[in-house]
Amino acid sequence: MILPIGPIHPGLKEPVRLKLKTQGEKVISAEIDFGYVHRGIERVMKGKTWQKGIFLSERVCGICSYIHTQTFAETFEKIAGERVPLRAQYLRSLTNELDRIQSHFIANSTYFKAIEHETLFMYMLHLREPVMDAIELLTGNRVNMGWNVVGGVRMDAEEKHLNSIYQIITNLEAEYDKYVEMFEEGPLLGLRSKDVGKMSKKDAIKGRAVGPIGRGSGLKHDVREDHHTYKDEFDWKVIWRKEGDNYARTMNRFDEISESIKIIKQVIENIPPGDVRKKIKIPAGYADWRNEAPRGEVAYMAETNGNLIQNISIRTPSIMNIDVCGKYMLQDVATVADAVATYASVDPCVACTERVIILNEKGEKTEFDGLHKVKYLQ
Amino acid sequence: MLDALKDVVRKSSIHVCLINTGGCNGCDIEVVALLSPRYDLEQYGIYVHNNPREADVLLITGAVCEQWKENLQRIYSKAPEPKVVVAIGNCPLTGDVFNQEGSSVYAPVSDFIPVDAEIPGCPPRPAEILAAILAVGPDAIAAKGRQKP
Ligand code: SF4
Repeated sequence: MILPIGPIHPGLKEPVRLKLKTQGEKVISAEIDFGYVHRGIERVMKGKTWQKGIFLSERVCGICSYIHTQTFAETFEKIAGERVPLRAQYLRSLTNELDRIQSHFIANSTYFKAIEHETLFMYMLHLREPVMDAIELLTGNRVNMGWNVVGGVRMDAEEKHLNSIYQIITNLEAEYDKYVEMFEEGPLLGLRSKDVGKMSKKDAIKGRAVGPIGRGSGLKHDVREDHHTYKDEFDWKVIWRKEGDNYARTMNRFDEISESIKIIKQVIENIPPGDVRKKIKIPAGYADWRNEAPRGEVAYMAETNGNLIQNISIRTPSIMNIDVCGKYMLQDVATVADAVATYASVDPCVACTERVIILNEKGEKTEFDGLHKVKYLQ
Repeated sequence: MLDALKDVVRKSSIHVCLINTGGCNGCDIEVVALLSPRYDLEQYGIYVHNNPREADVLLITGAVCEQWKENLQRIYSKAPEPKVVVAIGNCPLTGDVFNQEGSSVYAPVSDFIPVDAEIPGCPPRPAEILAAILAVGPDAIAAKGRQKP
């Protein structure tokens, strides 16, 4: 029997359609259908000036909006062959890690909601709010911050704000372990999460899983390792696990939060004085740049004539992660409830994913069948 | 008689369905933030469960994409009378940054379904969303309930 879930459904927070092929309670295979929030961002960006593009890139995704602007800015800085001042790099890393913490909290809370553990769901949201306050203190807004510009960040952080953020983070660190332990050692939570939705390392490589989903299956891959600020300035390590089940993915996110807390403390302790913004002249050219978003690798490829964006392509992590979820994790799942929980554990961000609709020559929607056949609409 | 009873009950128990018609989901996570203990939506008798068939209030975020042009009207008609529609964020009001030449959004949402309250902002703060639902929710629902369709 085919059981459709969505697009508007109590278990989902974004519109997407899951088609589960079931045999009794058992889920044999699944298909995930998109297309409900496609806005055509890249199409709109083309032909606009890059100053305008950055605001559009911020609205690719609301949960990880920050990293999109950073990647956009760094792509254009690469075209110019420049790097922003060190203080700006530190501030960018600070916001990035704060954003990662809040995003991981919301991802884990969604997972706990999916396995119907309301208590931890509430605790996660409760821990998240002070982090949102920290972001607001630093950038002036909670979600779409408008904080990055090509050449640095929009405004300098005051000493007293940095101190309050340090305080917030220290408080979080003190409380945090208690809740992680709840999940790590709770016997019933373990039963619902361990060995559910398994994906092997081989499958993860085949499906190109990224971020905590890939790292939960043993792929030690974090783009921050190649990023100049993280490589040269901070002391941190990549978190990864081997199990490849829902438990591993959720724990992986928990451990990454601790790592982010460590980075934030280093940022605030060592932040150098200086400018936060410099004037950058963008020449004509092409560049690509990758960054680690909360959900994995996000890549921007952009071409400009020095003023207008001529071509831009954005690849977000969720597109790969949702794909591996449908192909490898949702095979032979014991119950429908577990299938929904597995889908939530992948931390799907549908708004990120939907920038492309593939049409055939007649303008009908089709399956993606190899790059060589694709022609872009002009 | 039954209707009058329904009105009274509904006043203190509002069921909410969140419909993202194609935004950046920034507004959606602000609604999720409302569930957190700091704002605690449920203490006001508001319950988010995302089921249009039981909803009294439809929260619309997003700028109406291709797929939603027909589906939005369908989901709206599924919700039982009386119902209130609250549009959250700039997206359903104007289309925000997406509403430009070449994009595939069809804002505003009021072209498709009647909207009772609008909250501008990109995204609006959780407290504003809460205030709007409370301001428009109970009374508007009760008032609408008394007129026969
Ligand atoms: S109004 Fe702004 S925050 Fe809300 S969905 Fe639209 S773009 Fe996102």
